[in-house]
Amino acid sequence: MTCAPELSVVVPLYNEEESVAPLVDAVRGALGDGTDWELILVDDGSTDATARIAADLSAADTRVRLVRLARNYGQTPAMQAGFDHARGRIVVSMDGDLQNDPLDIPCLVARLEEGYDLVAGYRVNRQDRLLTRKVPSWFANRIIAWITGVRIRDNGCSLKAYRGELLRRLHLYSDMHRFIPAVAAATVGARITELPVRHHPRRYGRSKYGLSRTVKVLLDLLILMMIRSFRERPLLLFAIGAVAAAAAGAVFTAAVVAVYILFPPQQADGMVLPAAALLWYGLGVYLLILGLIAETAVGESRRRQAAELPVAREVAW
Amino acid sequence: MVSKTIPLESAAEAVPDLDGDEPVEVSVLIPVTERPEPLVALYEEYAAPIRALGVRYEFIFAAEPWFRELTQPLATLAAAGEPVRAVVVDQTTGETRLLKAAAAFCRGPVVLTLPAYRRIEASALPDLIACIHEGADLAVARRWPRRDPWINRIQNRILHRIIGRLADDRIHDVACGVRAFRREVLLEMPLYGDFSRFLPIFAQRDGYRVEELAVPQHPADARARIYGPGVYLRRVIDLLNLFFLLRFTDKPLRFFGMIGIVLGMIGSAILLVLLGQRLGGQGIADRPFLLLGVLFVVVGAQAIALGLIGEIIVHLHAPARKPYRIARSTTTARD
Repeated sequence: MTCAPELSVVVPLYNEEESVAPLVDAVRGALGDGTDWELILVDDGSTDATARIAADLSAADTRVRLVRLARNYGQTPAMQAGFDHARGRIVVSMDGDLQNDPLDIPCLVARLEEGYDLVAGYRVNRQDRLLTRKVPSWFANRIIAWITGVRIRDNGCSLKAYRGELLRRLHLYSDMHRFIPAVAAATVGARITELPVRHHPRRYGRSKYGLSRTVKVLLDLLILMMIRSFRERPLLLFAIGAVAAAAAGAVFTAAVVAVYILFPPQQADGMVLPAAALLWYGLGVYLLILGLIAETAVGESRRRQAAELPVAREVAW
Repeated sequence: MVSKTIPLESAAEAVPDLDGDEPVEVSVLIPVTERPEPLVALYEEYAAPIRALGVRYEFIFAAEPWFRELTQPLATLAAAGEPVRAVVVDQTTGETRLLKAAAAFCRGPVVLTLPAYRRIEASALPDLIACIHEGADLAVARRWPRRDPWINRIQNRILHRIIGRLADDRIHDVACGVRAFRREVLLEMPLYGDFSRFLPIFAQRDGYRVEELAVPQHPADARARIYGPGVYLRRVIDLLNLFFLLRFTDKPLRFFGMIGIVLGMIGSAILLVLLGQRLGGQGIADRPFLLLGVLFVVVGAQAIALGLIGEIIVHLHAPARKPYRIARSTTTARD
């Protein structure tokens, strides 16, 4: 294989021994016999036969490539590993559990070619448990849309198409795979749209998710908020917090004054209210200082990046 | 005697010069830091079993410039034709960097690190080397059975109980310092600071194959050790650092945010109860609980704010970091 393929399909796998072979067949069926695509299987430290089966499949077909991670890192690093190995001009990511349908890939790619950087699939008549999967997901997507300003109906759907150059400027870590559209919009100003895709019930294995991640997702949302609005000016976020703290302090100060006026001096010399007011003011000062530290860190990194030219493109009228 | 003074950065690029006909198979790397024993005697004792293996080997003594004179007596050995080399490393920050810088000079595919004092019986070294030949990335010696006085054993037991809890793995002797590596492992791993101690734990976490081997303790090592309070304080800080690095390096807000949310909820609950009492007509201006509630909310907000600072730092460094490591046997991944 000499020249890079046009399309890379990236699939992270974790303990999907039954799904791998049908998955590769399905992708082959959807994309045809040409050599203008590649399928990158990322084995995320599976403990079952996934790696062996994937290696066999990859040996049988040069278009199928396997990247094995040294241990189980989680979905975000696995996806990043796949993106790092993808050579295509267009990259499609997909789940390894056969719930996504490779037949949707050509539609996503066609939509991308209309002038988008990212096309997110959204699952119509989703085949999952209502209470533990669909309801929390509905709320999460609403909150994500509200906080990030990226109106995507289904952030949790892995089936997405990206322009390769977008991915090269995107660096995923922690659990960011859930928020790729939001992160892409916030950090590199991607043009994003969505498209309905099919969704099948799980055929093999069990779902690797549960309800327990709600708090984590909430904290991640706080991070997204920071990344989105305050990447350039973190001091602003901290200053807003400082103003809120100072306002609480002002309320307590007013209470101190009121007590002092309303009651005779012997009864009004309690320390609780003034001390509480001081605590609030202290928090305000503390947040301002932290904001300055954040500003220092961001500024330092921006100065290093200033040498690079920002990415720009000429657009048609 | 080969002697080089090279700054850390270029040391990593230095290409080892092969002078012999037969390639070196085992490099023994000895960092010379505080309290070394007489190095010539050390060499004689530990070289013997490796020489008996019949493989070509070399001993590399790595020292910071101010410990340079300690390695001088070895010059006579080198002059007598023994495979002894000295490496001087400038600007190191701790034993870990010293090891890493010196690893670039090791010519053998197997690198054995030894402390500059006798920890284990020399006869155990071939077993460690064999372990690497059998496919391990890292073989760690565990001094067992211990000959120490009970005071050392208790300290050791407590330390490793905590480590086992934090790191979910069974490394029984982090302080031993006798380890065999595949050379690449030593060069690949991001080593810094005081972390040579916890290196096996990080190696295991990065997906390297780590084996632990019980080896007999050297009689010279079996003396009572009671340290000053400063040393114990440093151990505690090390453990705290280990805990944070293992669990939250790329998600600091998970750690600080959880603390912040819990504190904030306790504080809010107190304040809400007080608010309810106030609306019920009770005075609250002199209630210490008001102060406590405010304090909890304030400290919670501080914790979350600190976590956000951590997230900013992680986010800014993300482009330079690879969040994963590829397994050694990627037979089919091209590029």
